[in-house]
Parts: sequence; structure tokens; C-alpha cells
Amino acid sequence: MRTRSALLFVATILCAGAHVVAAQKTAAPPTKQLPPGMQGMPGMNGDTTKAHANATAPSKAVTTASGAPMSGMAGMQSGAMVMPIPMPPGMPMMPGLVGLTPVGSTFLPGAGVDPSRVPMVKPTTVARLKNGDTLDLTAKLVRRTIRGRSFVMYGFNGEVPGPLIRVPQNATITVRFHNQIDLPSSVHWHGVRLDNRFDGVPEITQAAVPAGGSFVYRVHFPDAGVYWYHPHVREDIEQPLGLFGNMIVDSPDRNYYSPVNQEQALMLGDLLANADSLIPFGKEGPDFALMGRVGNVLLVNGEPHYSLSAHTGDVVRFYLTNVASSRTYNVSFGGAAIKVVASDQSRFEREAWVPSVVLAPAERYIVDVRFEHPGRYVLVNSVQAINHYKGEFEPEVDTLGTVTVGATKSASDFGQQFATLRSNAEVSHDVDRYRPYFDKPPDKKLTLTVETSALPLATVQFMSIDTAYFAPVEWVDGMPDMNWLSTAKQVRWVLRDDVTGKENMDIDWHARQGSVIKLRIFNDPKSFHPMQHPIHLHGQRMLVLSRDGVPTSNFVWKDTAIIPVGSTVDLLIDASNPGAWLLHCHIAEHMGSGMMAVLHVDPR
Amino acid sequence: MIAGAAAAPGRMRLSVALLAVSLVGPTGPFDIPLFATPPVPAAHGVARLVYASSPFGIAVTADGRARYDIQVTAAGLPAPSTLGAFTTYVAWEVTPDLDKWIRLGPITNGTTTVGSAEANKFLFVVTAEPGASQSVHTGPTVLHGTSPSGWLQSFLTHPLFRGVY
Repeated sequence: MRTRSALLFVATILCAGAHVVAAQKTAAPPTKQLPPGMQGMPGMNGDTTKAHANATAPSKAVTTASGAPMSGMAGMQSGAMVMPIPMPPGMPMMPGLVGLTPVGSTFLPGAGVDPSRVPMVKPTTVARLKNGDTLDLTAKLVRRTIRGRSFVMYGFNGEVPGPLIRVPQNATITVRFHNQIDLPSSVHWHGVRLDNRFDGVPEITQAAVPAGGSFVYRVHFPDAGVYWYHPHVREDIEQPLGLFGNMIVDSPDRNYYSPVNQEQALMLGDLLANADSLIPFGKEGPDFALMGRVGNVLLVNGEPHYSLSAHTGDVVRFYLTNVASSRTYNVSFGGAAIKVVASDQSRFEREAWVPSVVLAPAERYIVDVRFEHPGRYVLVNSVQAINHYKGEFEPEVDTLGTVTVGATKSASDFGQQFATLRSNAEVSHDVDRYRPYFDKPPDKKLTLTVETSALPLATVQFMSIDTAYFAPVEWVDGMPDMNWLSTAKQVRWVLRDDVTGKENMDIDWHARQGSVIKLRIFNDPKSFHPMQHPIHLHGQRMLVLSRDGVPTSNFVWKDTAIIPVGSTVDLLIDASNPGAWLLHCHIAEHMGSGMMAVLHVDPR
Repeated sequence: MIAGAAAAPGRMRLSVALLAVSLVGPTGPFDIPLFATPPVPAAHGVARLVYASSPFGIAVTADGRARYDIQVTAAGLPAPSTLGAFTTYVAWEVTPDLDKWIRLGPITNGTTTVGSAEANKFLFVVTAEPGASQSVHTGPTVLHGTSPSGWLQSFLTHPLFRGVY
């Protein structure tokens, strides 16, 4: 043990030095362009300590979402310095990373505030609004208890999720936003094709709303479906801390969807915490910049365990939204039949049976689920994690909640309607107008890649040898130690225009209102750290035409599309809404590390 | 690309594999280079993994395993009858321990889509068979390859994890 400790100490010293001198071939200039909303954060008044406060504290057991103990660092009982980042069970931290902390200072909300004076979070309310109505929406500090631990976090109107806004299609509402948190903020109405002035993107459509400030949004809802609102300033901090809420836009057509017995809006997120506290956030810019922050406590509507009661035979409509910073979900309902009905901005051309629902960050899916028999149905997230240490896949199942189905039969039996897969001719007819553009050459081409500089040597060395296989989708953070130590100062995620060579905010795309743009995106598998990217386009709608040359056979209008590693995906953008619209990766830390560009749709 | 990557053993192995693929056609990140066995020395090919049809951006099973259709491009396969009492070539998804063989479908020289493979790691094997509907493999293996996920390496003994630099 003494020898091991000595080795660890030497490795730590070596790598601490290497931290400064390591220079990757792909190193970006240190004066990288900071994306909108990411420049130095005036008004931040959080913890300004250089290193994480508990960086040298012994790691304690942390409970995973499934209730299993999450180990500390294996082999770290020697008294050597350890990191505060929970590691997956059986996964040792890399000795060369021991004792390192991310570059920069850290932030947690509510610094200097007596937690006992922060109000407890309240249950989500439903704000049923009609055309012309006004809603006051206030971002503020709230106190939440998760798995017995109390945290100061954020909430809209003191609620997590924020109020569920339910409006009729084509309604316009006014939202008076008040920022009472300790960061600048804004509200983005994700997926809604609204007036550009109210899109909520600092330095593009408005100034960030300072702490104590307000902004009035007018939000028009042209499309039925499920949407969500969230800040567009430091999403990597504000979103996981609770600033998110759903919007359900109801079609005037009563038969728009099949009838169901009940509806549930589920916002799927996660939280990264150790035994004592939240893992602090990078103050000047995101940490966890390589993979994004992947939480170790999975949450449904802000709670670690969701529960629902139903009757035998009930059909439940779930409006699913992935609000996690980085995690992609694969959700199923304990064997109950799942019918996928709609996604981001429309219904599918044809409903389909699915074994599970895959949601990348910011994506939404509407699914109908029938609970045919009495009993308990377990809502789970089931993925195949990669253990890089062993070179093996390992199934990982997290329980998100339970649906308890009583013996009493449904008051209304919608079994017949559920058994029928509907075709939505309206969607097909809408898509038909764009079919003439399907086969045209791409108007724009983007390559997704990453550049790094001055990462810890051990991280560079590991990435250098772990290149024989890259997963098209990384479901979990298999190397949280390396991930934690990567910050936006060292990692620059890149959208590169293949034609001009311009990158990120230097990309200056213009299109005429009413034009149809074919965008080809290639996710380069040979980059330093290839990873899937959920690409989101503000204010427009798009079709996924093909993936790796295989045409889509069942269209749905999207605002967010996952681009797996190594894949080439063709998107067709209906550029019908004038304004300056952001195109970005919806992994919060990737966007915060530069991965965004602007598409200008010029008025006719 | 990063400094030192060219010397990485994994990358060298991958480069050799991709060179083999290039003999048949375009390379992709999820291509399986197929290698011939002694009875068919002129045969070669590539099996490309593409996500199976799905309403989502990717196709997975309920437990999260990727579901791929496989586009097989083969060349140099002689008539099956030259190898014995065989009429067709059949593709199989085989577990790495060779314990489980799952029939994917018949293939010929040229490009054929068979599917769908769902194992995390698998071998892709083509055998000569007496009939196209053969559900159990009986004939000789003519082409074989490993899914890209099979290139995942264990770093259990790597110096990085032993604190040696």
C-alpha cells in the first residue's frame, strides 16, 4: 500500500506538471471565441474558491438512481488525495488524475444565503392560458430535498418543473419574466416558432436579464404538441438546478390524438451530487466539457421516484421531455405496450409500436402506453454502458418510477383505439410540399468535431489509446474523472462549415424566408473525443431526411435531432420564420464550449 | 488526430482493417472488414452496420443494445457448389464465444442487406449452406469479421491505470 501511495503521489506530481505543458496537436488558441451568454459572468456572486471545496475530502458513498451504492474511488483508501466526483461502481479513477481539479473557480447557487430561509420547492401547477392571457414567471432560489439531502437550487415560481403552460394552438400569451436568481438569465421557448425578438438568446435576440431584472415575452404557438422552456444563459448551471417547464399546445381538433384515460407530462433530468453536496459548477464556463455533466441521480419532474396510479386497461399519454444536460435516455414502462404518436413539433405520419423511447437532450416524444393488467409497472432507463477499464459493455438499468395499476377496470375502455395505429394524412400532405427538395444537393454542410488544449496528460494519453472503437451514442459517463477536469477553457466543440471553413459563431448563414435548406451534418469519428450531438435549430422546423444514406420512411417535424458518432444526417429546414436563429448542440456544456452558429432567415 | 495516435496499437490494427475494407468499396466508421478462409482465398468483403428503421434517431432494443441492419458487400465468392453440396451463402450473427448463431439471411456477390444484429459485440460469419432457408449452420465458413465494438480494449493492465508513466 505504501508503494502504491508513493506511485500515486509521483503520478500526481508528474501530471500536475503535465497539466500545464501538455499540448495536443489539435490545440485551439487560448483566446477562443466565447459563445453568447458565456462571457464572464457579471453579477455572479457564488463561491470563488480556486478549487472545489471538497476536492481533498475522502469520497463517501453516493447512491445511484437505482438505489445501488455508488462507490468512491476503488483503491483510494490509502489516504491519497481523491476527487469529489462519484465514479461508477468498479471503475477506479486514473492515478494520473488524482489531486487535480478543474481550471478556474467554482459556483453553487445561493452563496451567502441561509438555506433555512430559502422556501421549499412547491408542486408544479398547471397554467391553463387562453389567447391574450398573461403569466408572471419568476426564476428564484428554492430548497429541495433529494434522497434525504437538502440543496439550494432554482425553480420557476418556486416550482420544479416550472408551471405547466397549457394553451390552445395559435394562442399568443404574454410572459413577464423576473430574474431573482444569482445569475443572469433568460427564457427560451424551445421548439416554438415564435417572433424572433422573444427567442430568449442573449446577444442574439436580447440582452441577458440581470439578477433582479425583468423581460416581457410574447409567445405565439403555431403548432400543436409538447414544448419546453428553459434559460439560455449558462444552461449547464441553471437547467440542472431546476429551471425548466413544459408547454402543451392543444389542437382544436378533438380527434388530433386518440382518446386516453389520463395524461402525464414527464421531464427527465439528472443531478450530479456526492454524499454531501452538489458537485459545484465551473464559474467562468462549463466544466465537464468533454461529455457534458451526466448526473448520478436520475429525476422525473425533479424527483428521484415518480409514481402514478392507474386502472386496469388504462391508456396513459406521456409527454416526455429530456431536460438533462447531456444524458440520452432509453425509457420503457415495465413491459407495457408503447405507441409513439408524436415528437418535437408534430405527429408522426404513422403511429408505431416501439420497445422503448429514445430521447436525446431537448427532444420530446408523445407516447401512449396501455396498462393491460393489474400490478406494478416499473418505469426504467435501460442502457448499455461501456466500461472502458474492462473494455466491455455493461447493462445499466435505473428505476425512474412505478405505475401501480389497480384491479378496477378503466371507466372508459380505449383498448380498441389504442390497438389501432393511425396514419396522419395531414402530416403527410404537409410533408409532401417539401418532397421536391428531398433529392437536391446539400445547401450547407457541417462537420462536428472538437479541439482541445492543455488537458491533463493522463486524459490525453487515455484518449490516444482508446481509439479503436467509438460508440455511436455514449449513454453514461464512463470516465467522470477525465470529464470533470475538462473545462470550456480547454475544450472547444466545433461546428465547421465544410465550404467556408468557418466555425461556430463565425458561421454567417443567410437564407430567404420561405426557402428550403438541405443541411448535411457529419459527426467526425476521428476527433479527439467523438460524441453524439443533439443538434437544435431555434424558431424553425426541420425533417430528418436520411441517416447514413438510409431515407426516413416515417416523417415527423423536429427541432432537435441526434447526430450519432460517425453518422451523416441530412436535414431539410423549412426556413419560414424570419430572424436570427441559433443552431447548436443541446448538450449544455458543448454549447457552452462553443458549439453554436446562427442562421439568419431574411424577410421576404 | 492527436500526437502519438499513430503509434497506438489499437489504431494500427484499425488501419489494417480499414485497408482491407478499401479493397471492396467505401469505408465507413461502422464497417466490418470480412476476411476469407482458405477454401475461398479470393473472397473478400465488408459488412456495414446501419441503424435499423426506428421512429427515433437511433434504433435500440428495450435494454439499450443497438439494432443494426447489415449491408454486406462481397466479391470473389465462387459458386457454392464448388465447395461441396451447397447452394447458397448464409450470413450469421455469432456471439464472440461462438455459442449462439443467429441467421441473418442469404447473401451473394454484390451488395445485400440482411438484418438485424442486436448483440453488443458479435462476429459476422458467412457459411456455405445446402439451402437458403437453413436455420442451423452446417457448411464451411467462407468469410468472417468482428463488429467494431469487438475492438473495445481492456485497459486493466495498462500503465495508465497502474500509475506508471
